Amino acid sequence: MRAADEAAERGADVAIVSKMHPVRSHSGAAQGGINAALGNREDDSTEAHAFDCVKGSDYLGDQDAIEAMTADAPKQIVWLEHRGCIFSRMPDGKIAQRPFGGAGSPRTCYSADVTGLVILHTLWEQLERFQVKVYEEFFATALCVEDGVGAGVIAYNMRTGELELVSAKATIFATGGLGRVYAKTTNGYASTGDGMGIAYRAGLPLMDMEFVQFHPTSLKENGVLLSEAARGEGAYLLNKDGERFMFKYAPNKGELASRDVVSRAEWTEILEGRGVDGCVFLDLRHLGREKILERLPQIRELALDATGKDAIDTPIPILPGMHYAMGGIATDKFGATKIPGVYAAGECACVSVHGANRLGGNSLLETIVFGHRSAEHAANYIKSVGSVRPSERTLKSEGDRINGILARTGGERHSHVRKALNAAMSDHAFIFRNDKELNAGMDALRKVREAATTMTVQDKSRTFNTDLIGLLETEFLVDISQPIMLGALNRTESRGAQSRTDFPERDDENWLKHTLMHYKGKTSDPEADYSRKVIFTKFEPQVRTY
Amino acid sequence: MGFTLDIFRYDDKIDAEPHRDRVEIDQPTTMTVLDALEYAKAEVDGSISFRRSCRSAICGSCSMNINGTTGLACKTPVSQVLKSDNSVSVDPMPNFQPMKDLVVHMDPFWDKYNRLKPYLQPADKDEDHERERRVSPEDMKKLVAVANCVMCATCYALCPVVSVDPAFAGPAAIAYAFRFIEDVRDSKRKERAAQISDDYLWLCAHCYACSYCPKHVDPHDDIIAVKRATIEEGLTNHAGPRHALVVAKTIKQTGMLHESEVVQGTVGRFNIRGLLKQTPMMIRMVKAGKLPPFFLKPVPKVDEIRTIFNTLEAPTL
Repeated sequence: MRAADEAAERGADVAIVSKMHPVRSHSGAAQGGINAALGNREDDSTEAHAFDCVKGSDYLGDQDAIEAMTADAPKQIVWLEHRGCIFSRMPDGKIAQRPFGGAGSPRTCYSADVTGLVILHTLWEQLERFQVKVYEEFFATALCVEDGVGAGVIAYNMRTGELELVSAKATIFATGGLGRVYAKTTNGYASTGDGMGIAYRAGLPLMDMEFVQFHPTSLKENGVLLSEAARGEGAYLLNKDGERFMFKYAPNKGELASRDVVSRAEWTEILEGRGVDGCVFLDLRHLGREKILERLPQIRELALDATGKDAIDTPIPILPGMHYAMGGIATDKFGATKIPGVYAAGECACVSVHGANRLGGNSLLETIVFGHRSAEHAANYIKSVGSVRPSERTLKSEGDRINGILARTGGERHSHVRKALNAAMSDHAFIFRNDKELNAGMDALRKVREAATTMTVQDKSRTFNTDLIGLLETEFLVDISQPIMLGALNRTESRGAQSRTDFPERDDENWLKHTLMHYKGKTSDPEADYSRKVIFTKFEPQVRTY
Repeated sequence: MGFTLDIFRYDDKIDAEPHRDRVEIDQPTTMTVLDALEYAKAEVDGSISFRRSCRSAICGSCSMNINGTTGLACKTPVSQVLKSDNSVSVDPMPNFQPMKDLVVHMDPFWDKYNRLKPYLQPADKDEDHERERRVSPEDMKKLVAVANCVMCATCYALCPVVSVDPAFAGPAAIAYAFRFIEDVRDSKRKERAAQISDDYLWLCAHCYACSYCPKHVDPHDDIIAVKRATIEEGLTNHAGPRHALVVAKTIKQTGMLHESEVVQGTVGRFNIRGLLKQTPMMIRMVKAGKLPPFFLKPVPKVDEIRTIFNTLEAPTL
């Protein structure tokens, strides 16, 4: 939506294709905040923000892109505020900021614990302002590429059951994450990596897919997220003995170390028998009722709904849960891919600004900064392009494919294939990884991808067929899970969220490079390519401690 | 362990009439209604259709009727709504046309937002501000409750006024109008109040149905605030505000509701045609001996009532 707003402001003829109404987007579930070196609470600088990102990324982030993002961050926050975004305020009327994990300064702008929601609404309001056309409940299935140039997408109109060709001189993917490859995730049902899957099949490489962030505080019952804002406001993490164990792992930052560090610490506590029922505890009690109700009301209610426990007087059982894909469609620092006219921004993209581990408060920022940058680049690009006339070839092949799926009989239900996929990923590519597990994981995924070629739906209707959509989503998930597993297997080091028990050290000599994975067909392993080196500007790799 | 989901089934392209399916769910009742639907779809019948995404009450997709009242399926544990026959019934939201099973046509709901011009319209230029506009925490706090609205349409589905007059803006859109009317950065307070008045703001009958809100927005509070704002902006030339004002006036004057005065005040004292329309009712009231007096003597100690009115800072409503 940030990209569409920018394109509309620049007078471009722009439309959004989305499988849901825009306000249903999973960005609305982001709770804690958005980082920008405004310096409203303490002195801060965009350089300090950049350093924190680089260190957080375990030196895998491209520093030119990180610097561009952190330099742009304050301007983008002001842009949002000028358009009405409801940020919490300081007594002097400036935007309030709170501490977040891995950050050297209280830099995270917020609106209580509904920051994603208020930003989402602001962006949607701008769509209304410019009367941007929204193809709502249109499920994109494929990218149209004509003579090596992006020409739009094929989308399935869920209400009519018709497949349609949406031609465009420039296409920007802003399709979010892939949480649903795992069994337990903080992500919604819609986070099925559709855009990554479409781009990957169209020949665009996926980058750094092995780097999957496990959020330290998700609810045991349903995987739902409890924001890092809780720890930002001072919450403790406790083991079964009531010990604040984080200081054993991060002597300086404790609970506010970066997410990979905290999740590994929690999982170590649990594995070593200091958890309770496979969980540790998030303790808010000492913050007091008033602060919890003012700053963290949503997470208190989410915990109450799921566990029946009130965080005001009880510690909440939590564990690490799949939360975010650092990897995605490989782009440059303007969001452009190697296919002219095709862009990606947000979680579906890998610029890379997050490297091996994303800092809390940087995902909303990435969507805003790179939504803006990609639209700016695309708006200039389309001026240089004449008209696009995508042939009906892709429309026809996608139509045949979908008719084939609806007519298919005999194979497994897609919901069962999805379950097998989830088990393979959660069993073999979780927080701690090793050669044996990952090889077993690849074998499991090869079986899953075979089963996926014959999976079936029960709903044959052309009206709002969510059974069909579920199958198409499962196909994307199957395709993009293999780069995760293979990337993790190939990378013989531990860096950020990739933690190999058989290679526990970071290996800067051999691995200061990105993983690129190329699609080689439904039933073949991806092809790995390590030609893209990490870009350094001013921050040399250091030992990373918190 | 185990319960039955009793599901409304319908496809608007195929079925003349809806029917119901009963699906046995062999799972604990601690799960949410949404979990139960997901389980039924994954394991029993893939054609069961509903919208959902976040399962944490923030995306607003899964609003539906559960045992006859509307709410978010992801926020409703089965155990809390289980009927005596160990079943839970799920239906599409009322006040919407069903499309398929629990999926409804949402467009009329979104159109109500579209009419609001729902985006900030400040008086000053962005360029006048090097940084963010300064807003006091107190001014921002007025918007905190409504900022939690997830546009799930639960209140719209529960609203009896929408059910009889679909032109009524409905609680959700009025709450969103409130969001801008109360925003100190916005400059279109009067225009917004006028627009929402034209969208039948005053039809709200204050039944409080919308006060049940899964996100505690309580749009009813916002409806009252928007009505107050329309009067403050001098937009009183509607039957609605005239009624509110004359009720307050007669109570202040006499200590009682002066019904014949209220009728004249609401319809308009010089609206001869409107007043003549009331004649049949008046005749029936005369026959029944129930015609209220044209002149009312103030109650004893009416001064105390007037003091209350004068003390309240708020405008008379």
